[in-house]
Amino acid sequence: MDQPRGRAFYLLAAVFALYVVFLYGPTLTILALSFQGPSGGLTFPMNGLSTHWFAKLWEGVGVVDIWAALRRSLALGLVVMALTVGIAFYAGLAFRKGFWGAGLVFALAVSSLIVPSIVVSLGIGLEFRLLDDAIKALAAATGWGFLQDHGTLMGLYTSALGAHLTWTLPFGLLIMFAVFNRFDPAYEEAARDLGASGPQTLRHVVVPILVPALVGVALFGFTLSFDELARTSQAIGGRNTLPLELQGLTTTVTTPEIYALGTVTTAVSGLVIGTALGLTLWLQKRRARRALAGL
Amino acid sequence: MDLSPSRRTLLKGAAALAATPVTGFPAVHAAEPVTLRYLGTAVSQSSDIAKKVKEDLGIILEYIPVVTDEVTKRAVTQPNSFDLIDTEYFSLKKILPSGNLSGLDAKRIKLADKITGVFTKGEVNGKKIGDQGTAPRKVFYLEGQNAKTFASAPTEWLTLIPTTYNADTLGIRPDLIKRPVESWKDLLSPDFKGKASILNIPSIGIMDAAMVVEASGDYTYGDKGNMTRAEIDRTIKVLIEAKRAGQFRAFWQDFNESVNLMASGETVIQSMWSPAVTKVRAQGVPCVYQPLKEGYRAWAQGFGVPKTLSGKKLDAAYDFINWFLSGWAGAYLNRQGYYSAVLETAKEHMQPYEWAFWMEGKPAEKDILGPDGTLIEKAGATRDGGSFEQRMGSVACWNAVMDENTYMVRKWNEFIAA
Amino acid sequence: MSGLTFPLPPVGRGRGGGGADGTAPLDPDPPPPPAPPHKEEESRVAPFRPRRSLAYLQAAPLALVFLIFLVIPLVLTGIVSLWEYNEYAIIPALTLQNYADLFDGCLSADLCTTLRTYLSTVKFVVLTLAITLPLGFAIAYFLAFHIRSGTVRMGLFLLCTIPFWTSNVIRMISWIPLLGRNGLINDTLRALGLIRQPIEGLLYSDFAVVLAFVHLDTVFMIVPIFNSLARIDRRLIEAARDAGASGAQILWNVILPLTKPGIAIGTIFVTTLVMGDFVTVGVMGGQQIASVGKVIQVQMAYLQFPAAAANAMVLLAAVLLMILGLTRMIDLRREL
Repeated sequence: MDQPRGRAFYLLAAVFALYVVFLYGPTLTILALSFQGPSGGLTFPMNGLSTHWFAKLWEGVGVVDIWAALRRSLALGLVVMALTVGIAFYAGLAFRKGFWGAGLVFALAVSSLIVPSIVVSLGIGLEFRLLDDAIKALAAATGWGFLQDHGTLMGLYTSALGAHLTWTLPFGLLIMFAVFNRFDPAYEEAARDLGASGPQTLRHVVVPILVPALVGVALFGFTLSFDELARTSQAIGGRNTLPLELQGLTTTVTTPEIYALGTVTTAVSGLVIGTALGLTLWLQKRRARRALAGL
Repeated sequence: MDLSPSRRTLLKGAAALAATPVTGFPAVHAAEPVTLRYLGTAVSQSSDIAKKVKEDLGIILEYIPVVTDEVTKRAVTQPNSFDLIDTEYFSLKKILPSGNLSGLDAKRIKLADKITGVFTKGEVNGKKIGDQGTAPRKVFYLEGQNAKTFASAPTEWLTLIPTTYNADTLGIRPDLIKRPVESWKDLLSPDFKGKASILNIPSIGIMDAAMVVEASGDYTYGDKGNMTRAEIDRTIKVLIEAKRAGQFRAFWQDFNESVNLMASGETVIQSMWSPAVTKVRAQGVPCVYQPLKEGYRAWAQGFGVPKTLSGKKLDAAYDFINWFLSGWAGAYLNRQGYYSAVLETAKEHMQPYEWAFWMEGKPAEKDILGPDGTLIEKAGATRDGGSFEQRMGSVACWNAVMDENTYMVRKWNEFIAA
Repeated sequence: MSGLTFPLPPVGRGRGGGGADGTAPLDPDPPPPPAPPHKEEESRVAPFRPRRSLAYLQAAPLALVFLIFLVIPLVLTGIVSLWEYNEYAIIPALTLQNYADLFDGCLSADLCTTLRTYLSTVKFVVLTLAITLPLGFAIAYFLAFHIRSGTVRMGLFLLCTIPFWTSNVIRMISWIPLLGRNGLINDTLRALGLIRQPIEGLLYSDFAVVLAFVHLDTVFMIVPIFNSLARIDRRLIEAARDAGASGAQILWNVILPLTKPGIAIGTIFVTTLVMGDFVTVGVMGGQQIASVGKVIQVQMAYLQFPAAAANAMVLLAAVLLMILGLTRMIDLRREL
């Protein structure tokens, strides 16, 4: 830790720098090419310099209602985020207390990460297909009117939501583990000694301390959902999420508009990260200040 | 892909509306207009058409653009996820047995009897054209509205109303090839090693390969669109050999992938769609849609409605289809290099010089502009492949679903893995 | 706490929100020695342990999600892989045909399609691991041992994660203008006079695929290794140095063994991601290179669900076997 900065440091720093360059190569390509002139194509050399493609993007990309797709992905991302935070938090509490079958549930969470996404996606797609078939058979057998028009149960907030949760929840759970491992039960004991009820302790002691971690889980849930493609691919209903729509677009758009979109999403994501980070730092500082004041 | 001023204003308006904090559904803005969810490939979906339909009929089109195979899949597995489907005729062999499509009533299609003979009889101006594969003629009529089998003679029930169709051939980069290309067999010519590409939609790609095999004189198929297992093996073997020899640069799966491959010079010869060639040229890159002596591989797609569609939505679907055949949309598609179902009405909506260039194969009297106003051809140019009659008349086979489809897909995977 | 016999470090924090929770791994101070055994914690909690039944209620949503969206789908996939099918429907009649088709020709001398596809995919796993592992380790080591300020470390971490916020799809296609026949790299090299003919193999090749995998997946290696490194008690290293060990010896005999869990987890991640991929190989390989995921996707597109299901089951088995092998090699449970 405290060894002087020798050759190893500079060597590793160089590796790190190169990695960052490598990492940003495509991002910078996108950034540069999105500012091409109106006659620009998808490749170098640059044809002029303008914000033409951003204007185009604002007007809409081809036939796809990209903003509707964005709204759908945002909405789904937020729902996934909320569910991930809620479910992972309570599951974390449960694991802390311990319960019969905890090992099994944990093994499930880990396997949810390990099973290839395409397999999960196919499975969910199949599940819903069979459900649909069953409902149709039921409709034919019973003649119940409300079942006759059944199309599919697949959709953004059914199959796709489930697919996303199988991806975000394990991450959320692992973060909660890490956090609870370092959580000092003395706080709770103190709260109880002062006469707080269980829910009160949770609300006024546990949650405030855990806020930064919960923000982390939330960010995670949202990002993973917002950019999720493989698990959604076979489990989406009629309306696509943004990554799926983008995948379609890459094969149907031949202009730098698609790069402009990339630039915009990166910028927006950067903003979201920055805000969340700032918020977390601020909360931590405030907590530290309060703790100091409390002393 | 420049936008016309009118479209730009509209889109700005739409964007402004979308930006206001409403529910996100455009339906709020007009007095109960009907929205049709339009499932299809990006080929015939265009925001200009959507805009025009909204003006003329007050119908809102909500496009769901997916790739060819995905259209079929959704039609079979999620029949309620769309109100109108624009699918290839060959997909019918899969979709119809699922019972998810309803026959269209010919009496409600005003111009049904004006639809070109390519679909109704398999003819162009009285001359029979290639019938191999799933020719639309074979799957055009139904025994009854909800029949699951095709009728061999004309009936009152139609499967799909044609939207666009065309004849595919090889696209080439004349500036990089520098020698005449006359036959499908040139696709696998060692001259173009590492610079060729084919379509990675198995059922279509294999037909391109069959054209090559036949052109090289090795074998003549009974029906290229419905091969036996032995024929599939033979064709795939040819493809595998070519792949191992490094013939292909990449495979393409969608319209614009083919454009990008050609425009960037990654490939110099590949099977291609006519408008894709147009698009490459619009980027200032020389590209020719090369007519070949063995003829074209044709495809066609059309509108169908799901069985569950009823009431106002069904009426709207019929209104829209009738509108689509009435000329404006046909002219719009013709100007991109596709062909429309009812030629007479499209002609009325095109300038005589445009009609002469696109449909009659005559030299352009004036500069030819695309629907979006970009320059496509300068005055004096002629269209590759000539007139409608020459092109559609030289069709050798149609995109198809084979009886041995499952086996074919397996062999195709073998080809990809080779 | 019987459930926590397998407590992974918070691998999750890698992508995007990495470390935004600002807890231990990014703390400027040396983190505490490996997490305390949970029994101990349980005993600390014990005096005021709330009703156990509450725990079931709290864990139920999680269990339910995994039941509905993981267990049942996988079971169904297994069942459907044994069904017959035609062009448009799944027929619930038992058959082993899907598996027979899958392994058709595998007994003959020439490699069958399935084997060939798996070999190709496994080749990418090995190549990707061969690069991401040392690279990930070097970067994690740099961040854990050479960066002293917690804030700087967090900043560098974020620097690594920001590109991951742009859609995968867009990032992938943006390699094309760089690597293409007339791309930036080829043009630059030609302008410099280093090459005459463009290097064809930059794009639509194994190279391009591995490059994209390294680009996408290294971060999944960095984070778990970093976590393991951060948990190493620095006194161990000091002790080793005091005992006269050289830098290389410390690295090899002290640090590396203690990082094994992180390496194992990173390896598992990368293996899974590469094995199941179907987009990267397609785009970067010009649709010309086979991958298991791609085969499944094609079969799905052609409505051959049972065949796809059979493929998925085999893929699942292959991945689980590989991971089992890995955990055998490293004995994850003991290490953690």
